[in-house]
Amino acid sequence: MFKTEEMEINLGPQHPSTHGVLRVKLHLDGETIVRCTPMIGYLHRGVEKICENKTFFQGQVWTDRTDYVASVSNNLGWAEGVEKLFGITVPRRAHYIRTMLTELNRITSHLLWLGTHALDIGAMTVFLYAFREREEILSMFEAFCGARLTTTAFRIGGLREDIPPGFEKQVRAFQARFLDCLDEYEILLTENRIWKKRTVGVALLNAEDAIALGVTGPVLRAAGSTYDIRKAFPYAAYAEMDFQVATKNEGDTYARYLVRLEEMRQAHRIINQCLDGLPEGPVMAKLPKVLKSEVNEIYHAIEAPKGELGYYFIGEKGGVNPYRMHIRAPSFINLQALSKMVEGRLLADVIAAIGTLDVVLGEVDR
Amino acid sequence: MASSLLRTLIPFDIYGGMKLTGKYFGKVLRQANRGVKRTHVVVEYPEVPTTLMPRFRGRLQMIKDEQGEIKCVCCMACEKICPTQVITIEKGKKEGRKTPYPTRYDFEMERCIFCEFCVESCGFDSIILNHQFELASYNREDFSHALEGEFQNMFGITPVSHYSVASED
Repeated sequence: MFKTEEMEINLGPQHPSTHGVLRVKLHLDGETIVRCTPMIGYLHRGVEKICENKTFFQGQVWTDRTDYVASVSNNLGWAEGVEKLFGITVPRRAHYIRTMLTELNRITSHLLWLGTHALDIGAMTVFLYAFREREEILSMFEAFCGARLTTTAFRIGGLREDIPPGFEKQVRAFQARFLDCLDEYEILLTENRIWKKRTVGVALLNAEDAIALGVTGPVLRAAGSTYDIRKAFPYAAYAEMDFQVATKNEGDTYARYLVRLEEMRQAHRIINQCLDGLPEGPVMAKLPKVLKSEVNEIYHAIEAPKGELGYYFIGEKGGVNPYRMHIRAPSFINLQALSKMVEGRLLADVIAAIGTLDVVLGEVDR
Repeated sequence: MASSLLRTLIPFDIYGGMKLTGKYFGKVLRQANRGVKRTHVVVEYPEVPTTLMPRFRGRLQMIKDEQGEIKCVCCMACEKICPTQVITIEKGKKEGRKTPYPTRYDFEMERCIFCEFCVESCGFDSIILNHQFELASYNREDFSHALEGEFQNMFGITPVSHYSVASED
């Protein structure tokens, strides 16, 4: 009597819930998703190719613009990668300040995720509270390096300048009230029945699939894995820091929410340790005037807020710019898990799944 | 079973959220029109000017020394380091000056990404990034800066933001 057929619809690229210009092609059977294909490339700028034509010093400004929500983490990955390529040792004080700023950046990234993800699912209030704290950290970035979003915070060999006067006080004032703010978000969401209905058991991804897809970061850790590069291959000053890796076993959207909140608590702990144990000394290593590479290739990975962020450099003899540079972008690889998460589920769960993966399209398309 | 039924019937979770919202609502209401210091986090930007941090990276500006001379000696460091090649310098000479003098110093602001690499590379402190950030304009020519010119010169705050709300009196 009735003829039924699959319907193909596009979610995005101009949809507010796709966090940028992500287009998701969905094959629907009623409201159930049969097939889901993320279509990317709307924000492709060719960052890797541009960086091949820029010197190692100049290339850093493009890393600001890949994952623009966590630009300090990207700067750290670039700076440490290049330092590894040239064998530069960074002063201990610079390591501590880098660690502190990266953890502050982890908090901003997770706060932005929390606000927008909750907004997508339907909780408006937490967005305003999350952005209140994010604003405060962004003004710290402005105090440290002069920009709020495209920070260009670090330099090869250390830092451009030491922390400004009053910076420590500013961070400590924030640290004093941040745990209470986290409790406020938890009051609004953790036990909220609407939030739980939208997240518990939604967008499941088990550890086996996550590892097979190469998914890293909070998405992997919410599936039961304890893989965290800060612990597995410590960089910057993380070897000297005392913190725990947040994990959950459920592997659903709710577990990922709890893992990210716990990561913010751990970031808070790390920042406190950095402030207390901030060593004295210079912040910049002695560098040659022109950095000239040898034939060499290195891969350096850091734990960005979204997962494993890797920089792969190939140097040629006497080259002032990388012969080849590749970014292992966590958002790009985590996005591949989207179809696994939502196939066979309902259309409304796609929004939760995109939100929970925490993709930034600047990083996906590069 | 009984406890889950009770939790369904009595919305403790919603109560917690409403209490938090009420707390902040009450806080703002108590401060409204009372002359007490407000705990607003919102900056009423175009009406109230913003305070910028000392290290804020704004527009590129050339500075002169006490005699009114351009400090730049055309070492081309800023031109070389610039990731987007927005600076063009031409070396020249000026009578009564030992060091080279820039006959041309062009700055194309459209492509500038405000990274401050030029200021960092400058060994003579002859350029700074000032605190001007309202740089929107309707005309493309407004973004080109040079040594000469009435408005678009390198030495002061540019009036590119003729259309800014803050500049209107």
